[in-house]
Amino acid sequence: MENKDIQDLLDLASELRWEVGENFHDTLVEGIYADAAHIAQKTEIKIGEPNPYNFERKLDQVLTSKKYGFPIMILILSIILWLTIQGANYPSGLLASFFLEFLHPILKTGASQVGLPWWLDGFLIDGVYLALGWVISVMLPPMAIFFPMFTLLEDFGYLPRVAFNLDSLFKKSGAHGKQALTMSMGWGCNAAGVVATRIIDSPRERLIAIITNNFSLCNGRWPTQILIATIFIGALVPDSFSTILASIAVINIALLGIGFTFLSSWMLSKTLLKGEVSTFALELPPYRPPNLWTTLYTSLIDRTLIVLWRAMVFAAPAGAIIWLISNIYVDNLSLANITIDWMDGFGLFFGLNGVILLAYVVAIPANEIVIPTILMLTVAHLNLMGAGDGVMFELESTTETAALLHAGGWTLLTGINLMLFSLLHNPCSTTIYTIYQETKSWKWTAFASIMPVILGFLVTFLVTQIWQLFH
Amino acid sequence: MTELESCDSCALNNSAQLLKLGINVENADYVIALAGNPNTGKSTVFNALTGLKQHTGNWPGKTVTRAEGGYRFKDHKMKLIDLPGTYSLLSTSQDEEIARNFILFGKPDVTIIIVDAARIERNLNLVLQILEITDRAVLCLNLMDEALRHHIDIDERTLGKELGIPVVKCSAIKKQGISELISTVHQVAMRQIICKPYRIKGLSKPAQKMVDKLDKKIRKNYPGLPNSRWIAMRLLDADADIIKALKNGDFINH
Amino acid sequence: MTLHLNLEKLFASLPTLFNKGYVFLFFTALLIVFFILKKYQYLLRSLLPFKYIEKSITEDLLKQLYHITSGQKITDFRMLSRALKIPERKILKVFESMTQNGLIYISDGHITLTKTGKNYALSIIRIHRLWEKYLSEKTGFDKSLWHDLAEAKEHQLSKEETEALYEELGRPRFDPHGDPIPTALGEMISEMGTSIVGIPKGTVAKIIHIEDEPKSIYRKIIKEKLHVGAHVKILTSDDHHIIFESEGHSIQLSTIVASNIQVVLLNSQEAYEEGKVRLSSLIEGEHATILGISSECRGANRRRLLDLGFIKGTLLTIEYMGPNQNPRAYRLRNTLIALRNDQADFILIEKTQYDRTRIL
Ligand SMILES: Nc1nc2c(ncn2[C@@H]2O[C@H](COP(=O)(O)OP(=O)(O)OP(=O)(O)O)[C@@H](O)[C@H]2O)c(=O)[nH]1
Ligand SMILES: [Mg+2]
Repeated sequence: MENKDIQDLLDLASELRWEVGENFHDTLVEGIYADAAHIAQKTEIKIGEPNPYNFERKLDQVLTSKKYGFPIMILILSIILWLTIQGANYPSGLLASFFLEFLHPILKTGASQVGLPWWLDGFLIDGVYLALGWVISVMLPPMAIFFPMFTLLEDFGYLPRVAFNLDSLFKKSGAHGKQALTMSMGWGCNAAGVVATRIIDSPRERLIAIITNNFSLCNGRWPTQILIATIFIGALVPDSFSTILASIAVINIALLGIGFTFLSSWMLSKTLLKGEVSTFALELPPYRPPNLWTTLYTSLIDRTLIVLWRAMVFAAPAGAIIWLISNIYVDNLSLANITIDWMDGFGLFFGLNGVILLAYVVAIPANEIVIPTILMLTVAHLNLMGAGDGVMFELESTTETAALLHAGGWTLLTGINLMLFSLLHNPCSTTIYTIYQETKSWKWTAFASIMPVILGFLVTFLVTQIWQLFH
Repeated sequence: MTELESCDSCALNNSAQLLKLGINVENADYVIALAGNPNTGKSTVFNALTGLKQHTGNWPGKTVTRAEGGYRFKDHKMKLIDLPGTYSLLSTSQDEEIARNFILFGKPDVTIIIVDAARIERNLNLVLQILEITDRAVLCLNLMDEALRHHIDIDERTLGKELGIPVVKCSAIKKQGISELISTVHQVAMRQIICKPYRIKGLSKPAQKMVDKLDKKIRKNYPGLPNSRWIAMRLLDADADIIKALKNGDFINH
Repeated sequence: MTLHLNLEKLFASLPTLFNKGYVFLFFTALLIVFFILKKYQYLLRSLLPFKYIEKSITEDLLKQLYHITSGQKITDFRMLSRALKIPERKILKVFESMTQNGLIYISDGHITLTKTGKNYALSIIRIHRLWEKYLSEKTGFDKSLWHDLAEAKEHQLSKEETEALYEELGRPRFDPHGDPIPTALGEMISEMGTSIVGIPKGTVAKIIHIEDEPKSIYRKIIKEKLHVGAHVKILTSDDHHIIFESEGHSIQLSTIVASNIQVVLLNSQEAYEEGKVRLSSLIEGEHATILGISSECRGANRRRLLDLGFIKGTLLTIEYMGPNQNPRAYRLRNTLIALRNDQADFILIEKTQYDRTRIL
């Protein structure tokens, strides 16, 4: 094909385009729809009375009403979280005692019988193996409860209604209503949430959705929230209320995340990303009875295991690194201890401590390993260890964990700030990579990675300052 | 159900593996694309055919990337592509562009168009656009259970005759109609069924005249191009992607 | 190790340093600096070294001169200085080099564009209008921003980029305000209507042009959601005000604002639609037929609405209003679609009496 021929063709096209006028697109779509209506009329058979969708309409009118719309959303979220916290407790303990109490000593004995050198044994079994065991016992149960419930809601058709309800808030913050959908995907995994932003057609709003997705607590962070809330906030009240209070605390963190999503969307659309008007056109699908067994099967076998696999892939090297820095000594102090002391002053300034900060550096690959890292570093720091340093220490009951953390100088303030910092810190490495893949811009990737950390320090700083006013 | 079962035993699902191969389709005998409006059950059909676990969900926009899987039927290896849902081929958001580009330039051997049986009029908007492009397609009337629950049935014979392509009723989630879909797709791929796709008629007279004029010119330049009329329509609409494709020669060896 | 000790001391002393009050003082100061910078943004331009801004000043001056010489022939430095927000002495300097480059010549006290200068000016206007067209078709920027964005862009695009843009947009003839876009050869179609002020009562007409400067007036016009292509019907007018109807809304504008709207009388094929209102005025329990999408709604937005089935002749009803009455959910062709009100404003309907089931 000659270039000239193509140019001729394009010239003819523009000539004709001027003749048909600006509205050819409308004409085309109207023409297609006219045909479609004609065919539909010929082939659609109405059986008896047409179904007026009365049930769905009634349900929608409640779920999206001024009075009940928002309370129902919060209620549903609360129930899911409460069930997750309550339900995960027991199986978590079981798994932990199996992997860490039962299997771990056996492996150790086995290793010494085979005659592994101490460093290889420590590195593999105390480092890598314990990290894996911890991740499985802490993450598997909550995910196995959280994901199926969430998927059931998703299959029922509730998510688009959430987007519909929240849109007015998103509009006020200059963002797209479909961001509610990507936000809820982020509650599973931020990387998935970032990819899901493709449903947003305007680049500006898509960027906002990508940058703010990190404010959705991902499944790597739910366990942290739950554990710390149970230890520091649940413990404030008698046992019978502690699950409820802990759930309320976690819900508040999740809601705070939503609040930050709005706030930072608003600030972005007023400053760096100002300009384009946002739009929202979303089809609301009919409610569909969820297929219980398929859902359970898919979210257990597929979703949970895949996420877990990812966590383990990252937990193993992290466990190894922790073991290493706890066992390399400079001036009679382990590398871990030096760093912790060095970071401590800085950490206290934000109501955190050196252990937490170092844990967040180690846990950049995956949020899932923050808590085990913290525990292990605390142990190493306090020199409580009998055996080789650098074990991802697992304490079977929350009471023991609490005792350890208190011994490490933790207060209610540290707990609260850790929960806040867990919400507001850099995305994990997978998410950062995904952000780069989706935006193809180092600038925005860097921004999306650093902005939450700054926000996290700002918030914990303010909380600490205000706390100190009253104490 | 016989074919499906017999193939279950001959390891129909074993070949299924989620691989991002780009447009690399060398080892499959036929490439089958799944297209349709958002939330009509494309991924559900995909899962039923390949045994894979593509995520599904009751909201439009669940699938945003292309997924590939395979199945074997009567000694032919089929490669199935699950695409994001799209309301039309007239270009819009990024997920929709993936679907549109594959249908336009990926040159699938057969396109399965998944249609929500209860919302056939809106769905036909896309169907008619796809039929302008390809002459090998199968219409899958999915969500039949839901349509019937809402007192809507479809006369699939008339529909098939009107559109000039085979129509199969399905309820993918209950695996109903899947085996018939598989064998119909196979017949279309093997050219045992020849489609005579519907062509858009509803344009206004002056617009029709312009399209014909441009169409004639395109066919003179590219003899044998099956979808010249669609290209003419898109050129009149100043579709930047089509202009670019034309310049790059993407249409020549169609 | 000394480093580590010192740092620790420093961090320990920080909390006392940042005692309550200081934190808030710091943030307030930050806020104030931010607003000052924002307000005097344009001043930053004249702070740049001259050679970086000479091109854009030249081009701005050419445009001004083009518009002035096609009206009255007065070129007043002070006025130019104010309009372009550039000190007079810089204008003088640019004029000097423009004379040298043969873009302008001076005759009996007037500055006039040469042929080259005129073509240059037209090429800048071409980029400006093409970019506004681009913004309206391919992006979602608010129209109150188009002008400023195009103002910046017109100095940046090369000739090749401009032509590529022209092709990409399908060789448009008019910008979104209804102004003609000069061709690459510097020709410009002139199709001018009359100002809406002074049109007799009862006349029906179509808006063909809305002047986007001065901004204060333009803002008032777009606030009423008036747009090129909208039909208007004059209800009353006197020396100070004009009241007219458009898309089911009655609009009152002062004469000075209204005089920036140009209209032509409807031709024989176009009928003024009486019952035409915006979809956003539909309330629960009402039904309607779509008459079309306003020509105001362009680009991806318009295509999206069309794809979803908001087509002339479609029956629809409002299913529910949502917690904040915005967005609202509409049912058409048995599908349920949520739309924000400002999008529903673009969809023109006629309220009708239908049985709900006909829409299902
Ligand atoms: N009742 C019923 N539900 C179905 C059927 N097929 C699919 N679904 C449900 O419809 C919803 C949408 O299915 P998907 O397969 O995710 O749809 P999709 O076309 O891939 O959607 P996108 O990826 O968003 O374009 C899911 O909740 C499915 O469970 C069916 O035949 N009957
Ligand atoms: Mg899908």
